[in-house]
Amino acid sequence: MYRGREGQWAFVLHRISGVAVALFLLLHVIDISLVMFGPEGPFEAFLVFYHNWPFRVGLIAVIAAVVYHGLNGLRIIVMDFTSWGVRYQKPMWYGVLGLTAIIGVPVLWKIVPEILRGA
Amino acid sequence: MSTAQRAKAKRPRTFDEARAMASSSSELGWWVFMRISGMLLVPLAFIHLWANNMAFNAGEIDFAYVVARLQQPGVRIFNSFLLLFAMLHGVNGLRYSIEDYVRRPERRFLWKMILFTVAGIIFIFGVMTLWAFTYEEMGSAVRALGSE
Ligand code: HEM
Repeated sequence: MYRGREGQWAFVLHRISGVAVALFLLLHVIDISLVMFGPEGPFEAFLVFYHNWPFRVGLIAVIAAVVYHGLNGLRIIVMDFTSWGVRYQKPMWYGVLGLTAIIGVPVLWKIVPEILRGA
Repeated sequence: MSTAQRAKAKRPRTFDEARAMASSSSELGWWVFMRISGMLLVPLAFIHLWANNMAFNAGEIDFAYVVARLQQPGVRIFNSFLLLFAMLHGVNGLRYSIEDYVRRPERRFLWKMILFTVAGIIFIFGVMTLWAFTYEEMGSAVRALGSE
């Protein structure tokens, strides 16, 4: 593709995470809009499904996708609008991966026990 | 490399390249919009994820919780910006993907029309959820149910 190995992986991950988050967003606005039907409406029934552990693991993936996509997006903006950005695209990509992992630690620390406890 | 030469690369990397490559001025506008909305979405999405996953247990989200959140004007205004920018940024991103992977012009057109129609309807749902209700009333309805 267009910028050697890391650039290509950065792009593939950016695409996949972006499409995943966008599709989640479409579903998510529908689920929240179910509150329009009131307390006796379909919202709670939908939530039962949302609170199942496979879905909660999926939500962790959504969080990871948002964090990676957002940070990598900032990297793309730096490459587009600075004179030095493209030169440092590789270290910046490792920075994006590292920051995503670091942010992942407290997130997993909090959410995984919640899932294991079953709520 | 001149700007024009670099513009031959697959994806534009600077504003000048984007201008040289853009097939129309609206494409250039979207290129700029993706970057501006992207910068706004980092704080918007991160704060939203923080509020619902870190400051709260997402496994305990229920009707009462959402109504309590949507009662707050600040949450509604915040969510309106999140909804607007995430929808435009997300749908435009999906459109880029359709343009990259769907080769046949008729299919491409069809997929885009399906995307815009579905996304448009969902966006209207989102706006209605945020602004067409008085959640104060819904909140008291929930409290009444809870005390029965
Ligand atoms: C993965 C974990 C997520 C959880 C648990 C979650 C939870 C919620 C909840 C409870 C609401 C209702 C009001 C509020 O509390 O703000 C809401 C609304 C909303 N969320 Fe999320 N959210 C998540 C991820 C996302 C992401 C990644 C996006 C966008 C990229 C997003 C966009 C929105 C929007 C636009 C609304 C307003 C919907 C409307 O107009 O009715 N959410 N979310």
